[in-house]
Amino acid sequence: MALLEVDNLSIGYNTKKGYLKAVEKVSFDLEAGASLGFVGESGCGKTTIGMALMGLLPPNGSVKEGRILFEGKNTLEMTDEELRKIRWREMAMIFQAAMNALNPVQRVGNQIAEAILVHDPSVEKDQAMDQVENLFRLVGIPLDRLRDYPHQYSGGMKQRAVIAMALACRPKLIIADEPTTALDVIVQDQILGEIKELQKEFDLSIIFISHDISIVAHMCDHIGVMYAGQLVECGPREGVFESPAHPYTKALLSSFPTVTGKRSDLIPIPGETPNLVVPPHGCRFCDRCSGPEASCSTEPPQWVEIAPGHRALCCRC
Amino acid sequence: MVSKQNENSMGPERHPWVSSFLEGWSIFRQNLLGKIGLTLLVMFALMALCSYIPPWISPIYDPMTGVDPDITSCSGPCLRHWLGTDFMGRDILSQLLAGARIAFMVGISAAVMSIVLGVSIGMTAGYMGRFIDTLLMRLADMIMVMPTLLVVLLLSAVFGQLNIWTIVLIIALFRWPGVSRIIRGQTLSLKQRPFIEAAKVAGASHFRIIFIHIMPNVLPLAFLFMTFRVTSAIITEAALAFLGFGDPGTVSWGMMLQWVWKTGHMFQAPYWLLPPGICISLITLSFYMLGRAMDEVLDPRLRKEDQTD
Amino acid sequence: MNTQDESVLKIRDVTKVYKGKGALFGASGKDVTALDRVSFDIFKGEIFGLVGESGSGKTTVGRLIVGLEDVSSGKIFLNGREVVGLKGRARKEFRSQVQMIFQDPYQSLNPQRAIYDTVSEPLKIHGVGNASTKRDLVREILQSVGLSPPDDFLFKYPHRLSGGQRQRVAIARAMVLKPTFVIADEPTSMLDASISAQIFNILLDMRNRLDVTQMFITHSLAAARYLCDRVAVIYRGNLMEIGSAEEVIRNPKHPYTQALLDAVPKFGHHRDVSRYGTLLIKDRDVAGENGCVFFPRCAVALEDRCAGSRPLLGRVSGEHRVACFLVEGA
Repeated sequence: MALLEVDNLSIGYNTKKGYLKAVEKVSFDLEAGASLGFVGESGCGKTTIGMALMGLLPPNGSVKEGRILFEGKNTLEMTDEELRKIRWREMAMIFQAAMNALNPVQRVGNQIAEAILVHDPSVEKDQAMDQVENLFRLVGIPLDRLRDYPHQYSGGMKQRAVIAMALACRPKLIIADEPTTALDVIVQDQILGEIKELQKEFDLSIIFISHDISIVAHMCDHIGVMYAGQLVECGPREGVFESPAHPYTKALLSSFPTVTGKRSDLIPIPGETPNLVVPPHGCRFCDRCSGPEASCSTEPPQWVEIAPGHRALCCRC
Repeated sequence: MVSKQNENSMGPERHPWVSSFLEGWSIFRQNLLGKIGLTLLVMFALMALCSYIPPWISPIYDPMTGVDPDITSCSGPCLRHWLGTDFMGRDILSQLLAGARIAFMVGISAAVMSIVLGVSIGMTAGYMGRFIDTLLMRLADMIMVMPTLLVVLLLSAVFGQLNIWTIVLIIALFRWPGVSRIIRGQTLSLKQRPFIEAAKVAGASHFRIIFIHIMPNVLPLAFLFMTFRVTSAIITEAALAFLGFGDPGTVSWGMMLQWVWKTGHMFQAPYWLLPPGICISLITLSFYMLGRAMDEVLDPRLRKEDQTD
Repeated sequence: MNTQDESVLKIRDVTKVYKGKGALFGASGKDVTALDRVSFDIFKGEIFGLVGESGSGKTTVGRLIVGLEDVSSGKIFLNGREVVGLKGRARKEFRSQVQMIFQDPYQSLNPQRAIYDTVSEPLKIHGVGNASTKRDLVREILQSVGLSPPDDFLFKYPHRLSGGQRQRVAIARAMVLKPTFVIADEPTSMLDASISAQIFNILLDMRNRLDVTQMFITHSLAAARYLCDRVAVIYRGNLMEIGSAEEVIRNPKHPYTQALLDAVPKFGHHRDVSRYGTLLIKDRDVAGENGCVFFPRCAVALEDRCAGSRPLLGRVSGEHRVACFLVEGA
């Protein structure tokens, strides 16, 4: 049984302009110890999925259909009490711009200790502090910074503190939503390396959400490409990046400049993302696709198996 | 992160002020206090408009000079005079209506003047910074701590009875510091915004930047503060009139109270004492309620200024 | 591509120091040197990339050139004329020749003004044309940045446009006066990749069509490689390496540039490209102010030489120059 099974998940937001269908019928599996990367541009729904997994959707967001099976149990049907037990202890999240999530008036060490104490009342205060020290060693923060306040930390250190907090209760699954976006490339490289090591050491499963293809490719064995609320391609890393099937994946790959390889022309994707309040009936990528067929705009696309484990939501593939 | 790309391209094109106003209005409408306050204000506005009616009906109803040939002293409500007459036989109801007109006139003029002063000074201080900023803000501080009434006392001791417009001017001169502080704060934060820097890089002069770029972004806040200013102006004028420093040629509610007091009718003529007192309290209350409702509208809008909407 | 004979912009020994204000500025009241004797040239018709991380001073360079801030010392020349200290009419004329595209498309347009007003403002300020020629010029520039048909956009307000569209408006505003030189300060860092690609192509098109020389400030070596003819790498206020984009990226000589290239995540069959390994895992504990700024993190540094004095930009080959004691010729 996979650690996480998401089945036909659809999520929407109630906005002033109507009901926004942010995520549409997304299904995927995640095995224990594996890493899955969601890549897509703003508005594609990847962050929404992350928040739904943790049960942290904002008040105007709601799950319309689908199941989220964590270790076989549907989190969408759990009570608040049960969810609270899972959250942080089994499943933890590193939010976007998480460094701003640190309490500015509390010492960093204490904040992390508090996270441990809240989720495991049986632990004593000094035991918790010991665990915090271990965590700091793990993520690479010098121990003499335990009693500092967040503003005394650099950006990279704050991010490491947030990672330490996510690991505090030794969860099985970590959802990292753009954890390195605000960081410089050298610090980012160090942090990504550390996340990979931690994953190996604790046999963690990771869901990595990013708009940057190269980061996701660097970190994850499996990739899910999201566009306009739908999962349009899903499969092992090599398959998706070396033989992309969906036109959006292909287009996305050719819109990223690289430092290695041939200096080829960047081909931007013309047009804009579709309106998710009134999404098109057929394929959502249709009007930006380089070679649509006649049926693409009228009929919703179907899943096509490209290779074992590699599928794409497209009529043409 | 939800895409905002296509949601906003629907609907008719509107100036940001218009769409903010409409949005604010729908929030305002849901606020009970605001609705009560607004209703009261509309009532007072109608009173002010109706103040022209009594003298038009008959000269005996003129608030200042109307003399009823049959009544020459304070008397209670009757068919001809719904609220009775004052010590000179003048109709109290028409005085009350005229007072409403004065209240609005004074309130709004003083508010507008103090806003104009406050906005100009606040923007200049915020934009110019350094020496000018310090100078203007110290001036504002000094004025803020000065007691208005005391100064008016001194002025009227020196210059004799003051005219209503002089009083309005004085109120405005004492009230601009509060406005200018807020506007200065807003200007300071706007100054750093990239679109101001872009205007500088394009070669815009300081004048252009202040009046074309900063002012429109600052005015909505200023207008909001006008509601608060109006009430304090009305009360100040009423207080001045009551203490005897008002314009004797104008019938304001404060003036009416002064007459009641001066002529010793405080406890004998409730029909004369109560109406102006109640009106002053009510109009202040209604502006206060309006202000509270505005707070609710203000907050989401203030946040909206910085959002990537 | 670039013509060596004419330099549009010359920066000589430009230094910018921010005075410490005591308790207000962080822990110490020390002065912060954002730029330390930076010198380089930009040639006519080229797109010059300035690559650096946060705190490198790259944005400061741009702000000093357009005059949003004053240099502490040093000279800046535009087409041979000195720019520092210009006043009055000369300054206004300078402003019509040098423009800037800002990073945040959500903040760089006045939300109260329609697109037409924003794009035509430079024309109004510099008194170009009458009402109808202004409108034609605005239409033309909106068309060339891909906002088509232009009439659809003239009277819209910024909040109705997407980030990519707003940035195009910002480019249109910068280009409407057909300036000599435009600085683009991280114009795509807040945009998605596919939109960024559109913006890059517009900048290239502007260079080709209007012959506008550009400086592209970025933290992304990949973007600089795509867009720029020549590239300079800046670290903590000092230029580390400068040369043609392809050369600097394929064959970097400075340990810092090499560390940057190591850090860029690579995928596909480039995953296992060998690393330069020039970055120390833990920074050195040094207080020295006189040495190379990269010394505390440099894994290949020579203790006595690199900590003692600051290396200057020396020629490696052709245009490729490096500020490093370890490199031949520097």
